[in-house]
Amino acid sequence: MAQNVDPYYAQRSDSSKHSDEGRTNPTDNNAVTKRLQKELMTLMMSQERGVSAFPEGENLFRWIGTITGPKETVYETQKYKLYLQFPNSYPYTAPFVKFITPCFHPNIDNNGNICLDILKDKWSALYDVRTILLSIQSLLAEPNIDSPLNALAAELWCKPEEYKKHVTDTYKQV
Amino acid sequence: MASSTSSPNSSKNLNDASGASDTAEKEEKKEDRTFECNICLDTARDAVVSMCGHLFCWPCLHQWLETRPSRQVCPVCKAAISKEKVVPLYGRGSTKQEDPREKVPPRPAGQRTEPENGSSFPGFGFGDTGFHMSFGIGAFPFGFFTSTFNFGDPRPSAAPHGTPQHLEEQYLSKLFLWLAVLFILWLLLA
Repeated sequence: MAQNVDPYYAQRSDSSKHSDEGRTNPTDNNAVTKRLQKELMTLMMSQERGVSAFPEGENLFRWIGTITGPKETVYETQKYKLYLQFPNSYPYTAPFVKFITPCFHPNIDNNGNICLDILKDKWSALYDVRTILLSIQSLLAEPNIDSPLNALAAELWCKPEEYKKHVTDTYKQV
Repeated sequence: MASSTSSPNSSKNLNDASGASDTAEKEEKKEDRTFECNICLDTARDAVVSMCGHLFCWPCLHQWLETRPSRQVCPVCKAAISKEKVVPLYGRGSTKQEDPREKVPPRPAGQRTEPENGSSFPGFGFGDTGFHMSFGIGAFPFGFFTSTFNFGDPRPSAAPHGTPQHLEEQYLSKLFLWLAVLFILWLLLA
């Protein structure tokens, strides 16, 4: 499937998304917990390189994820923390994901909100924590310049020197 | 005759086998993953398969399709799917494990067509192939006098009584009968 979204379509379905979410009946929390437990199990067993995640405290519906910057990019040496919150309707609706660590990137705003199609209209019940984190990791390497949340980053993307400076400066803010 | 039915993959292990020894259990778990629902990641319960071949629990898939009525796509490959076009999998174990509290409409039933009866004439046992015999007289304009005997090939069933098609067929058969009579008379007199 094409990952490139027709902007017109994306916007349209974006606006309809809210009504969709409101309509979702809250499913059995038991099933959600069960699925999240399964995901945690597979994440711990697989020992995926570059991404990891663990529930924050006792609550299985809030996780902290970590991704390392993809190799051979300006993000290479950095480690980013993310916050994931799962709705009761998970996995039928996407979890809420944002960066905790400040990140200079065309599709990530100053508050850490991420613009990524699979977290919005392209969400599928098949996606899990692992694939979300891997998608965000590859988003770091391949930003979508056409619909930026951070206009400056989008502008500087073609100037690697300046871009890298901003990336390191933003990262140091922690 | 030529309708080939693809045999579905064996659906063993669809239901959890319980009470196995440790090592066997582990191996079984690996095998079981093939039969895990793509949504709840558990062994598929009331399993259904989409036309694109992906396995789900019926309640899970139903919920997924309910969640986004405007975009009915397969969670795995994003092919267009619909509730009507899923195939239920009937394993050997009991399929009545449904929790009555879940108000999910019943899983659509499988579609079943009767196997075609190959040789209706036991005397003409030419293996599996039908016996064809054609007999024809006449030049081009009388091509329709050729009579054809086809054994084994089922003829399309007659249209139901009363429909325009039925009347038309009746009319045509009468017409051809008269033409045949006239032709034979002409042959005898000439």
